Amino acid sequence: MSDAPEVRGAHAAGGIPAARQALAEWIDAAGGEGRTFLQVRLLRTGDGRYEIRHARDLHRSILSLETVTSDPYAARFIAQMTSGGEHRPLKTAPNLRQGWALVDLDARALWTALDYLYPACALHWHAELAGTLRVTHWREVAARQSGMYGAVKLLPPDVVRNTVRACCGDAVCLRRVAWDVDTDTPLDLPSEGDVTGQALVPCPEACSMFISFARQVLVLERAPRHELPGLGRLGVEEIEQVREIATAAAAGTLGAAREGEFSEATNSRRMRYLALRLAEEKARIGDLPAPELPCEGCPKAVPCRGCPMV
Amino acid sequence: MQALIIIGHGSHLNAESSAPVYAHAAAIRATGAFDEVRECFWKEEPSMREVFDLVEADDVYVVPLFISEGYFTEEVIPRELGLDGPAPSVTRKLGKTIHYTKPVGTHSSMAGMILRRAEETAGLTDDEARDAGLIIIGHGTERNSNSSEVIYRVSREADEAGIFGHVRTGFLDQAPEVGEVLEAMEERRIVLVPFFVAEGWHTQETIPDDLGLNRPAVSPMTEKDGRTIFYAAPVGTFPEIAQIVLQRAREAGARLPGGVAVGEAAGV
Repeated sequence: MSDAPEVRGAHAAGGIPAARQALAEWIDAAGGEGRTFLQVRLLRTGDGRYEIRHARDLHRSILSLETVTSDPYAARFIAQMTSGGEHRPLKTAPNLRQGWALVDLDARALWTALDYLYPACALHWHAELAGTLRVTHWREVAARQSGMYGAVKLLPPDVVRNTVRACCGDAVCLRRVAWDVDTDTPLDLPSEGDVTGQALVPCPEACSMFISFARQVLVLERAPRHELPGLGRLGVEEIEQVREIATAAAAGTLGAAREGEFSEATNSRRMRYLALRLAEEKARIGDLPAPELPCEGCPKAVPCRGCPMV
Repeated sequence: MQALIIIGHGSHLNAESSAPVYAHAAAIRATGAFDEVRECFWKEEPSMREVFDLVEADDVYVVPLFISEGYFTEEVIPRELGLDGPAPSVTRKLGKTIHYTKPVGTHSSMAGMILRRAEETAGLTDDEARDAGLIIIGHGTERNSNSSEVIYRVSREADEAGIFGHVRTGFLDQAPEVGEVLEAMEERRIVLVPFFVAEGWHTQETIPDDLGLNRPAVSPMTEKDGRTIFYAAPVGTFPEIAQIVLQRAREAGARLPGGVAVGEAAGV
């Protein structure tokens, strides 16, 4: 699809009413069980009335929930922070907090509330079903970046693929990537299996988190690398990252880095990228040969029975 | 139907950056002046790329909650929204007429707001203020020379008001750097006001840390080298900014009932 200015950002011009109706009908058709949309449960509670809860709060008594409101705009406060008080720049990160219910919503308020929990997601879900989703591929997104992000266009396709795997997997974002490197260069991502919930929400183009992460990846990829026996070719920053991850894991502070703090060695996407790099290197160099006995420093010239190392 | 879209920078790291956008949007929504009011951001969701899919109205007014006519308002926003040009511009696409306005920061009432911030933070008497210095901090950028224009203009207007003895301008990403400006000032009391739209990484962390000041969460005042330095909150969090957003939309042709005013509940 084109990224020409006149259609940029358009998935279904004037299509909100149709998508809103489709959403309501989809929920109505499910009966009392409702539908799971990413991490929330959409329930029909009466004729044209709806309720939204966190899917894991489905069977909780409404009296036990901290926030119960019929104001659809309250969704924005629910979506703003994790249960641990962390900022959520990406609303499709799988860390929506629990403990709330948006109740007594009509179809319009349901749409508004869902759009504040998951901006544009219901529209993209509907566009995908209707075949009207407009996808912007990576090269077009990268080419229009400027300033500090202008260099992301230098990432080669295989690095873009690993960046997507690290930055966009279900463990960090529940959308499914619908774009490719370009029309002729598919991303060929490994399957992630079933989507979370009952709705596939496509990602029509790389978001700002991805672009920012891609810039960090470019820095890592351009660093000179050293061949380390058993680990492969790693840059100085990657080696230091291995050390910092071990230190943080030992101290129990893994997971403290913020979601968008890509300069941090223990940032989740940084660690996911390192894991992919290490796996790739391992595939390239294979395992180290098993050590030959006798062990270094052992006074015995031949392996012996009762060796404490075996 | 007419819609208002307020665009903010947003942040990958903290919620304070988008907070004024949401607060001003909520205040304007409560006036009922627009059929729809929506927020969008550069660094958060909803993104600028999808915002026209979030409003149904065919008449759309886009107001940037930014300070300068610079890199973001003249290059990034028109590019990301697919507009025909920088503000003021009118673009017809997707069956909509999109009116793109100038940012709030270039509005004529900004110097007054900065002076109010300075006075509120430092609590100086008139005489004390006349002996004190005021530094207006702008972000600045080497990427777009227009970016600093409004900062200098507002500094000049604040200086002409004659409340503070000296008014100077300092930047983060261009010369003169704010640390050097602070060093060079001789006053015993100095008030720093960030000409920023929101609290965030710069206002809460990089500026106080680089200048060796208490972070605002600790104290707005720092005693340092025999001087008292007051560090104010950014101007963009003033509730009155919502009124400026409305005025920007009106200037671009939005049909607003006479006397529509944003309530005091707009506090950020």
